[in-house]
Amino acid sequence: MEEVLRKIAEVTSDPYTYVAELKARKNKKIIGCFPMHIPEEIVHAADLIPVVIWRGNESVTWGHAHVPAYDCGITRTFVDDAVKGKLSFMDGMVFNVRQCLQVGEFPLIMDRNVKPAYQKILYLPPIYQGEAVRSFLLEDLESFKTSLEDFTGKKISDDSLKRSIEIYNENRSLLERVYEIRREKPEILKAREVMQTVWSSMLMLKEDHNELLKELIKGMEKKTVETKGDRSKVILVGCLCQTLQFDILDIIEDLGMIVPDDDLYVGSRYFANKAQLNGNPMDALADRYQAKTPLCPAKGVWDVDWAEEVIKQMKDNDAKGVISVRVKYCPPHTCYYPDFKSKMMAEDVPEVMIEMEHEIVSLEGTKTRLQSFAETLSGV
Amino acid sequence: MSVKYKVNRLATTNDIRPMVDRHWANLRAAKERGEKVAWASGPTFLFPYAMGMKSHFMAGYAAYCGGIGAADEVLKVAEATGDLPETCSYHRLHMGMAEAVRKGIPVNPAAILPMPDIMISGRFCPEMAHYAEGLYRRMGVPVIAVELPSAYEKEDVPRVKKFVYRQFKEVVIPAFEKVCGKPFDYDRLSEIFSVLKKAATLRNECWEFFKTKPSTWTLWDYGVSIAPVFYMMGDPESIVYYEKLLKELQDRKEKGIPAIAPEGEKYRLYWDGWIPWAFLGKFMRKFTPNGAVCICGRYPWEFFPHPERLDPERPLETFVDSFWGEESPRCFSNKAPKGCVELIGEFIEEYSIDGMIMFSSKSCRIWNLSQPDMMDALYKRYGVPGVVIEADMVDPAMISDSQIDTRLEALIETIDGGRRGRA
Repeated sequence: MEEVLRKIAEVTSDPYTYVAELKARKNKKIIGCFPMHIPEEIVHAADLIPVVIWRGNESVTWGHAHVPAYDCGITRTFVDDAVKGKLSFMDGMVFNVRQCLQVGEFPLIMDRNVKPAYQKILYLPPIYQGEAVRSFLLEDLESFKTSLEDFTGKKISDDSLKRSIEIYNENRSLLERVYEIRREKPEILKAREVMQTVWSSMLMLKEDHNELLKELIKGMEKKTVETKGDRSKVILVGCLCQTLQFDILDIIEDLGMIVPDDDLYVGSRYFANKAQLNGNPMDALADRYQAKTPLCPAKGVWDVDWAEEVIKQMKDNDAKGVISVRVKYCPPHTCYYPDFKSKMMAEDVPEVMIEMEHEIVSLEGTKTRLQSFAETLSGV
Repeated sequence: MSVKYKVNRLATTNDIRPMVDRHWANLRAAKERGEKVAWASGPTFLFPYAMGMKSHFMAGYAAYCGGIGAADEVLKVAEATGDLPETCSYHRLHMGMAEAVRKGIPVNPAAILPMPDIMISGRFCPEMAHYAEGLYRRMGVPVIAVELPSAYEKEDVPRVKKFVYRQFKEVVIPAFEKVCGKPFDYDRLSEIFSVLKKAATLRNECWEFFKTKPSTWTLWDYGVSIAPVFYMMGDPESIVYYEKLLKELQDRKEKGIPAIAPEGEKYRLYWDGWIPWAFLGKFMRKFTPNGAVCICGRYPWEFFPHPERLDPERPLETFVDSFWGEESPRCFSNKAPKGCVELIGEFIEEYSIDGMIMFSSKSCRIWNLSQPDMMDALYKRYGVPGVVIEADMVDPAMISDSQIDTRLEALIETIDGGRRGRA
């Protein structure tokens, strides 16, 4: 188990080197998929390697000649990485410009400064009623598939797409199992290790990641963990598109809280819902995209209340509180948050919001907020 | 500075305030009479209008609120009731106004609108849907939601157009028929387009005066004149307004009266992005002493720039064509960065532009996308320099005088440097 965790930490500590080496090792092209909803299975079925684009590992410098400081961390660092040539191992890039406005920054910037061999723009629609939305979504997925076929010069058969979906579904099942075991033995993995595990799935070839997860699960099932009863369980919510700074996860645990489950993108949201293969694989992908839960504030869902969903999740995990992680300049989360907060207050659920910026000046403020939250939960 | 510049104010634009006051008062009066009223984002207010229902328009309300100086207090209500300061200021204005109504918080009565019986959320940008979602959660207002994407690639225009048309036909129209209990009134929609066609044709004649040197009016004059060709469309007063404006501009040309005295502009500027509704005076006070006049911009040119192509006999089709059509893909050329480079290039040539101001809104990015790259591409192609000014349409907490001053100064120095180099 330690060996697997070491490997996962290695992949995520330097994704640039890992993905570049992966490309060389597998002799396959890399397609960067900007989070959160690109159906990677179609890229995989085209015999290419999809990787989910990540928040960069250094302060933004050149990027600010292209995007303003009031774009979110992953938008700015991705542009920064791309224009500096740090992502030159990516042969192509895919953007869903309807997720939030900031994704719309990329196509022209990439065209002018990066010139990837392949660039595809998707318009994945929100989950609104009406047959027109469904047809447009299917057309969009079909156009994505065709563009990849044109890029590779090879047809993507239904069988190969089904095979890719199965591999992805297996990965989802395995990650689900990791979370299940963590729920049973909450301190078996540190919160940062769980996030790294999900993140590594976004960076590795899924077949390889599945093997790694099987090893990890074997180790987790065997291992016994002594749980300290006085620790308060909390659910982490939000942090769309990007990883949370691991230091923040460590602070949460150092303050005596434990995380049995989460509602984060680089977390349970990434592997939630399998693509149900009952017929046409494109329909299966469209169904998965249109699943209303876990609620994504970027997808226009009206009839599900995010806060109610989280309260349910909290109760299922016997958790005492919720930590909302809001990425600075993330409009979908920011617009939703006041209603989320009101519901938490109305239901007497202890909740605290921490704001995450790419450039951390000091963690002291975050620590103080979390400390007083931990004290509230433990009744100090 | 040897020349003392001064604005020659147009008389016609004085008519706008009473017109828009009346427009919003009519919405309040309709509710008081017990009629159903709608709120709408994107150009979707057309559907309630066609059904004889009074409707608000999201950006129009925000502009009005900013223009009458009420934005600051409404934004403060939003923040006091939970909204975060970095949220889209149009979103916050609506949340603040709704919370003021819900909780009885006193604000400028002119900024208060009746709560809607139905909302139509036209998702031009995600925030236009987020505000409707928020009001649905807080107040339970029923919502008709439609997705209104802009095509980023020209080849995507036909399928995006078809998608938008289908949603209007299959979702929006049946929903309004249900709400109003009567068939959709295509005839009224045709009438609205007939009036709009006349008003926008006159407006285009007014645009011609931006091409004269010196210009007889400023972009700000046109900015305050947008309502008659947009959310007041169909109102016969819109034609009267533009007839009067056209006449005044013709008079000015004949008499040699430029937009700024004594001799007209020294610098002709392109303005990119939203109009800063709450700060029009502030910007004018900065441009005018420098002899700078804003001439054109892609946002104010969004509103039915080709009235000759409007066909009132095919009202729904002509509406969709105007924004999403293959012949005039405004959404591609106005909102998608690649298309914008082409459009702004046309403006530079057509209106003899000396410099560009890229207004970057800190809270709404719909017109900001890839601005630095657009500016660079245009500079390389046309040699026209630009600067970015970061501020907001209505939020006074997001605007800095010193930033405007230094960037405007830098732009003017660069234009002067270029002129000296060419001399």
